[in-house]
Amino acid sequence: MTSQDNMPMTRAEKRQARRIRRFDNPWLNPKLIWGAALLLAIIAIGLMGRLLWNLDLVFTGSTPLKLPPVGFENLRGQAGQWANPIGTDGGGRDMLALIIIGAPNTLFVGLLASLIGMSIGIFLGFSAGFLGGRIDDTIRVSADVMITIPPLLILVVFQSAFGDVTLTMMAILIAGFVWQSPTRLIRAQVLSMKQSGYVQMAQLSGASTSHIMFREMLPNLIPYLFGSFIASVTTSIVTAVGLEVLGLGPQRIPTLGRTIYEAINAGALIQNLWWWWGIPTLLLGVMFIGLLLINLGLDEVSNPRLRKLS
Amino acid sequence: MLDDVTPDKPVLTLRDVSIEFPTPKGIVQAVKNLSLDIHKGRRVGFIGESGSGKTTTALAVMQMLAEPGRVSGGTIDLGGTDILSLSEEAMRRTRLGRVAYIPQGAMNSLNPVMRVEPQMWDAIIAHEGAVGRDALKQRSDIALESVGLPQHTSQLYPHELSGGMKQRVCIAIGIILNPELIIADEPTSALDVVTQRQVIQTLKDIQTRIGSGLMMIGHDMGLMAQTVDELAVLKNGELVEHGTVQQILEAPKHPYTKDLISSVPLVGGDSFLNPERNADAPKRISSEPLLRFENVRKDYGAVAALQSLSFTLHGDTPQIISIVGQSGSGKSTMGSIMLGFNPPSKGRVLYEGQNIQTMNAAQSLEFRKNVQAVFQDPYACFNPFYRVDHALKFPFKQFGLAKSEAHSQQAMQEACVAVGLDPDLVLSRYPHQLSGGQRQRLIVARALMLSPKLLIADEPVSMVDASLRASILSNIYDLKDKHGISILYITHDLATAYHVSDFVMVLFKGNVVEAGPPKEVIGAPQHPYTRLLIDSIPWPDLKRSWGDGRADWDPAKQEVAALNAKTEYRGDVPGFDLSKA
Repeated sequence: MTSQDNMPMTRAEKRQARRIRRFDNPWLNPKLIWGAALLLAIIAIGLMGRLLWNLDLVFTGSTPLKLPPVGFENLRGQAGQWANPIGTDGGGRDMLALIIIGAPNTLFVGLLASLIGMSIGIFLGFSAGFLGGRIDDTIRVSADVMITIPPLLILVVFQSAFGDVTLTMMAILIAGFVWQSPTRLIRAQVLSMKQSGYVQMAQLSGASTSHIMFREMLPNLIPYLFGSFIASVTTSIVTAVGLEVLGLGPQRIPTLGRTIYEAINAGALIQNLWWWWGIPTLLLGVMFIGLLLINLGLDEVSNPRLRKLS
Repeated sequence: MLDDVTPDKPVLTLRDVSIEFPTPKGIVQAVKNLSLDIHKGRRVGFIGESGSGKTTTALAVMQMLAEPGRVSGGTIDLGGTDILSLSEEAMRRTRLGRVAYIPQGAMNSLNPVMRVEPQMWDAIIAHEGAVGRDALKQRSDIALESVGLPQHTSQLYPHELSGGMKQRVCIAIGIILNPELIIADEPTSALDVVTQRQVIQTLKDIQTRIGSGLMMIGHDMGLMAQTVDELAVLKNGELVEHGTVQQILEAPKHPYTKDLISSVPLVGGDSFLNPERNADAPKRISSEPLLRFENVRKDYGAVAALQSLSFTLHGDTPQIISIVGQSGSGKSTMGSIMLGFNPPSKGRVLYEGQNIQTMNAAQSLEFRKNVQAVFQDPYACFNPFYRVDHALKFPFKQFGLAKSEAHSQQAMQEACVAVGLDPDLVLSRYPHQLSGGQRQRLIVARALMLSPKLLIADEPVSMVDASLRASILSNIYDLKDKHGISILYITHDLATAYHVSDFVMVLFKGNVVEAGPPKEVIGAPQHPYTRLLIDSIPWPDLKRSWGDGRADWDPAKQEVAALNAKTEYRGDVPGFDLSKA
């Protein structure tokens, strides 16, 4: 064990110093940053595309059918052209325009559904944990029952009964199936926090119930809420895409799921029109990896024991 | 008599050991150049406040330092083996085989889903490979017997054992392979005094029998005096004094050691308080007594936590009423009933004539303003999300005491100064940046700011470092002395109750067994249970070996006697009436 007082830092030591800095500021988590970057990229495609690309190409028949992306040839021997850089679908719609409109739509459904679901979850979770008694029993039992019902089953019935739905309507329907796990999570946290010293201190200070719930407890739950939010965004998107691929989503608004539905319906797999179903699938993959990374990153932020120094 | 033991080769030799923790704000030296020998059969105590490096040193001997800590210099030699050069596998064999570690919280150290017996077998199998079932059974039975546990314990799950029994199971696992060195890290800090005495005696017996060295970590000078042969005093990672217990107790050289010794309050010893004058109680409008218990009883299922109890606290002269007892005696239940957190099963609690369970919102706010509390755990009392001034400012505003922002700021600063804190240093910090002692003082400052009529202090110093206890207690005492606040002091520590209180109630299994002025009750106890408690106090005095030093000390017998004895009433104080059952 030699002393290293006056020696310049070696590379390993510099790396160690960088790790320690990262340990100090948990939000500089590489997973969190990469995940956020992936999601922001998808939103950026949506925003930039609206400014730079002609969105009228999204209508049926506005372009030649089944053109491949630039640099590829389709089965008819047509080469890709720069007017439709990532090809066109079987209905003569430009794939790039479809994605510029469709990708943010898919993300929007997920975010809105989970925002509504989380709000319900926070409200019910706090009520159950804090008030206890019969209210707790009712909320807990209904959340448990709802968890056992497969959401797709109910949603398929709903959607086919409603016919065409808007994106918002679909988000609200999905929200009805993502509030259970935040409710249970928050209830458990509130139950353990209710016994803590600072909540007793606040009671001694004559604090009202709403003050204790929202000013004393809620701030300490923020990391959990974030994590739970991201998880339910993932669930919501999976549910939404599932419905769309079954052809049950919005009929007139392009989404990634609907594009995949149409590709399958038109036999894109047999005709080797890989760009038609492949590009939306790839984007969905990127979206899920982004959400997963954010979730892992948030886990490390809220649970310091998962953070490693070495 | 201990000095004439001719020491052979030491079991453990620490030479210039330094331990450091790299952190974002630079390297923290947890232990600096520590050198020490532990000889065969000797008991060495490591004493110091939290953060002084005593546990860190012990963990380094086990090679179990938490990341990113590392031994940065020096050597650790265990009976001829250089610990620091051992491979991970060799170290694994050394742990428990040659060094055993008895942890602080035995309740968390046993596997809750395994019976006691297989957990002991695991230890043997991990070191000796396959051993026959009969041999295993025989060895675990011997180990359990040697710590004084009945044989059927081996078939029980940890939750079926009491805290003291769990700690003994941990000791039994620790000695099952006859280690050369036993490290006991505050083995009794979670236990009450009676159990503490039993467990320490078990530990001493068994250590003498297998002849290993013992490294005992703690912060209680009294317990150390009763347990070890040699003492090492640590402060900020440095060994400031080392010698036999006798040398250190009789002629401490380092000022910190002197502080540690003098901070232990003694029954009958000099008071650490200076009662100059008695402030008058705050003027009360109501003619009703401040607090009245009417046949209050609390049951948890079939267990009676508190038997029917009636008393009246008039509150016209400020007083400190102490409630002492072991864990499970119902004293904390009584505190939470008084605060209205826990409704009584029978009877009523009246605050100025109002039942606290049926108050309306305005009355409830008035009650909260006038009945405040200091809790046991200063670490949990602050919301980690806010700066600490939130805990002081919020109630001040809530009770309508604040005239303006500047006024509440000024009140906070004055309260901080009154409890000996620098307001500029502490008020704008986050809770985790303050020590336990500072936090507990802030809670006392909070009580002072609100100037309630009654303060319920539930074990206010049991989680604070020993050297700070006396000063925090005198802060609390000042609340009565200078500010006229009546205090209910709930504690298991008879020595402090002796000094601070005007009236003492001893609680045993929910019953008051002895009550009266402290000089009578604690100074000359008459009830068997009170005597049991006082005998269990570890004195920082070698001549006074655990009470009066009777060898036939049998707590079980005394508890039986206590159950049959009737309550002793040792006198009254004006302003507090305990109804005699």
